[in-house]
Amino acid sequence: MLQVQLLRIDSRLLHGQVATNWARVLKIDRIIVASDGVAQDAIRRTLIKQASPPGLRTHIVPIQKVIRINQDARFDGEKVLLLVESPQDALRLILGGIEVSRINIGSLSFDNSKKMISDTVAVSQRDIQVFQLIHQHGIQLEIRKVSSDSPKDLWQILIDKHLITE
Amino acid sequence: MKRKEKVWEYLKTVLPDAPQGVTTSKVAMDLDLVRTNASKELNVLVKEGKLAKTATRPVKYFFADQAQPAIASASKEKKAKDQAPKIANKDQKDHQDDIFDHLIGRTSSLKNQIEQAKAAILYPPHGLNVLITGPTGSGKTYFANAMNQFACNQGVISNPHLTTFNCADYAHNPQLLMSHLFGYVKGAFTGANEDQEGLIQKADGGILFLDEVHRLPPEGQEMIFYLMDHGTYSRLGETDKAHHANLRLICATTEDPESSLLATFVRRIPIVVQMPSFNSRTMRERFGLLKQMLLIEANRIHKKIYFDEDVARSLIGSVTYGNVGQLKSNVQLVCAQGFLNNIQEKDAIYLHFEQLPPNIKDGLSRLANDREQFGDLAKMMDPQMVVAPDDSTALINDEDNYELPYNLYEIIGDKAALLSKEGLDQEAINNFIMTDINVHLKGFYSDKHLERDQDDLYEIVDQDVVDLTNRLKQILKDAGYQISTNFLYAMSLHISSFIKRVESGKPLRKVAPNMISMVQDYPQEFEYAKLVKDEIENHYHLPVPDSELYYLAVLLISLQAEKQNGKVGIVVAAHGNSTASSMVQVVDQLLNPDNLTAFDMSLDMSPQEALKGIEEKVRQVDSGNGVILLVDMGSLSTFDEKISEHTGIKVKSVDMVTTALVLETARKTSLIDSDLENVYREISEFSGYSRTTEREKTEVQHLPKQTDVMTDQKPKAILAICSTGQGTAVKIKKMLDSILVDHLIDDIVVIPISVVDMEQQIAKIQKDYRIVAVTGIARPHLSVPFVSLEKLLQGGGEQFITAIENFTNNIEAENQLETSEEMAKERIQHYLGRYFTFLNPEKVTEVLWEYCKVIEKGPVKLKNSLKVNLSMHLAGVIERILTQSELTVQQDIQIEEVRNDPVYPMVVKANQMLAESLNITLPEEEVYYVVKLIDTQKQ
Repeated sequence: MLQVQLLRIDSRLLHGQVATNWARVLKIDRIIVASDGVAQDAIRRTLIKQASPPGLRTHIVPIQKVIRINQDARFDGEKVLLLVESPQDALRLILGGIEVSRINIGSLSFDNSKKMISDTVAVSQRDIQVFQLIHQHGIQLEIRKVSSDSPKDLWQILIDKHLITE
Repeated sequence: MKRKEKVWEYLKTVLPDAPQGVTTSKVAMDLDLVRTNASKELNVLVKEGKLAKTATRPVKYFFADQAQPAIASASKEKKAKDQAPKIANKDQKDHQDDIFDHLIGRTSSLKNQIEQAKAAILYPPHGLNVLITGPTGSGKTYFANAMNQFACNQGVISNPHLTTFNCADYAHNPQLLMSHLFGYVKGAFTGANEDQEGLIQKADGGILFLDEVHRLPPEGQEMIFYLMDHGTYSRLGETDKAHHANLRLICATTEDPESSLLATFVRRIPIVVQMPSFNSRTMRERFGLLKQMLLIEANRIHKKIYFDEDVARSLIGSVTYGNVGQLKSNVQLVCAQGFLNNIQEKDAIYLHFEQLPPNIKDGLSRLANDREQFGDLAKMMDPQMVVAPDDSTALINDEDNYELPYNLYEIIGDKAALLSKEGLDQEAINNFIMTDINVHLKGFYSDKHLERDQDDLYEIVDQDVVDLTNRLKQILKDAGYQISTNFLYAMSLHISSFIKRVESGKPLRKVAPNMISMVQDYPQEFEYAKLVKDEIENHYHLPVPDSELYYLAVLLISLQAEKQNGKVGIVVAAHGNSTASSMVQVVDQLLNPDNLTAFDMSLDMSPQEALKGIEEKVRQVDSGNGVILLVDMGSLSTFDEKISEHTGIKVKSVDMVTTALVLETARKTSLIDSDLENVYREISEFSGYSRTTEREKTEVQHLPKQTDVMTDQKPKAILAICSTGQGTAVKIKKMLDSILVDHLIDDIVVIPISVVDMEQQIAKIQKDYRIVAVTGIARPHLSVPFVSLEKLLQGGGEQFITAIENFTNNIEAENQLETSEEMAKERIQHYLGRYFTFLNPEKVTEVLWEYCKVIEKGPVKLKNSLKVNLSMHLAGVIERILTQSELTVQQDIQIEEVRNDPVYPMVVKANQMLAESLNITLPEEEVYYVVKLIDTQKQ
């Protein structure tokens, strides 16, 4: 099993904040960007590789591969930072056997079908459903850009904003 | 008359008068032979059964048919011994001589192990199966052989031959593995044309040794244990277990027996023997092992070996990871050097600390770190020690992985004699042969310890010299000299010893007249030697004597082993500042061709200029067989006739060049018998490796590819090819496996195969796998990346895997992004629209692009990929400022630290620009992150 030090949802995947902050404070062997779309997109792959912190290997792979690797004894105990771009992808990982106790949410980009619930996080109705499923797994959901920010509980915010009823 | 016949004739005259026999020294003296040679011939005669020899010292030789009963031992038994069971027959009745008594450590480190082994062999009625564990080189195979001989001596087995099988050899082809072990019947699978018995049958009545048993697949384990329990088994393709075999099992592994791989195994094997690592053995044992290794060498060269304390300490300390096996290799290296340095000495060689290679010298300090051990050792040693040959042969038949595959000393002796006949002085001879030895041992070492060996050229010579040599390689290549594979090793060793000579104040060497005349036959190499000399002078700022030119020329000549007869050259010419060279770069990484070069035609270059430039490139790569010109479009494609006219070199051009086309051309031309017309015809028909042609890809590649479904869903494989498929190839596999894991690649397997029947094996493998790359000693006809063994061993493994990744990942997109400003801007605008809520993508893109331009006025040029990332980051910054959600700063961040960064002033300027155009001012914390982001490119 991989040792997932942080599972982060961020529409922009790997960018300045992640590169300079999280990779530094977490003790990790590598960064894995899990996205079916990006794994197919040569240019975004190039950009993400460019943005990865020096001295740290970054892999961009489809979701299914992360699940496969997680079960492969050769990669046992690898300390990784897992990045996904949507709550849907995070849920796929969790259902695929990736074990985490909390999920970090950096930013979720806005469009007209979504509601802003913090300065960086916008959610759609579907996103909320997915977060509910994740919550049912007993996983904490925290909104936090960089490690020095104080975490905000996404679940509580959803309740406060009456987006869900418990 | 040959030397052997001379010796035989001589003996016929003297032996009738010498009832006690004659000694080697007498033969050597009377016939005026070197002692080593005399001894060699005498022993050959013993082997042939013509002579016998005494077991006592000094050894005396006499006619075999006259042998007195008391000493009738040698000749016939020697012969028998060569076949297999090693223990001398005379000991057989005499049970007091226990084979284990010869093992070093029998009373301490190996005491328990030996008792276990004996118990396992003698346990009634049929003995117990044994698993031997221990690290690489700790002597597992040796111990297994000792057990086999013990079993022989005790008369508990009827088949004296130890049957050995390394499970790792076929670990990726379980069926093949099983067929080797159990045999098969005709028709069991494609290619099984007749019944074949397996190793199990060969081992009947004896012992089967399964090495690296953790690689035995579960079905193999099952069948083995069934056989153990019931004594029957079936060959592949049979349903009933009709074959009987009675055998004992010894297994060995480097794995921890607790590991899951071995769990079932260990449960069913009652005795586990743990071999200790070299460094956990007592100092007395380690010293004893050293002396034993030296004795083996002394017997090989028939000379005494003198060595001092520091040599002993260094050798013992030089064992880092490889245990006894590594000690053996190191002793061989040092003795080969000593043999050469003392080639004039009749019956002794002297090993001096100062002459040891640096990596072995390091052993001294490594050992000295442990005071206690250091002290222990000191008590056992004399300042000067000697090991004398005793004409014993190793008692235990060890199918030794650590043995050199040829007689190095004979090679040194013969070569030295040859060179001295040529009139070279001793120093020159030493220099040449030392280069040779190092190259030989290097090759040998590389086979053995792959991962560790990547840097070990650096252990022998300074990095600086290696760098210089690499530059020389390029210079010579540019000048048209065909670089051979040994060039880097041979030349850097040559330079390094030259520099040492200069440092010791004697740069001048005399040049023998016949050396001059030899060089005169090679005027070209002499010219190349001048280039090398100039470069060395430039590099070290010291004059290189002209005499050295001849030595360099001879080195270049000798490295030019096989004059390659003209590969077809390739010139890639394309519009754009780096279009052509970036394609060539990719192919260089993959195939490392020596016949490929690029010409970049910037847009403002006139056709005349371009023509001239391309002509020059054509001349460079032509080696008499014509040149293929790969161009992108337009005027370039009409150049071929003009160039042919001007240069007299046949040129054919193919247009619409892509990386895949360059790759294919390089591959085609690398085959020896390719000619220009053939290559041209095949290339013109080439339309890409995958289903979508390269041309279509270019059109769509800036859009995310939706589904790139491979028609071929078979698992991917890399082939590692060596002569047997079991030696080097397996080591390569190990090395690549670990790199693959490091790259998080879980879906490529490495399959070692033998060059024998290569094509058939490949056809077989292709049924189950898609071959994506090949490495090793031969290159099959496959359209996939290939890297030579040489390159792989010199640290090319990492690069190789990266290249395979890139190859499958279409890295052209990256090249295109880097060369096209429009594309980069388009990306920024696209992402801004997609990820940011409050910004106007069109306007902001222009501002951010300008921001990057301002930064670029400073010392750092930004790659387009960085510009896109920086713009994205800045957009985030702007959004944060607009929404007033600034970042908090970590406690441990020193904002001041970036002020001294060379890009800092440029960031300040760019921020001013931003303040003017968007009325936004970046707080210090954000400046910190911006600088750090730009810094990622520098590293």
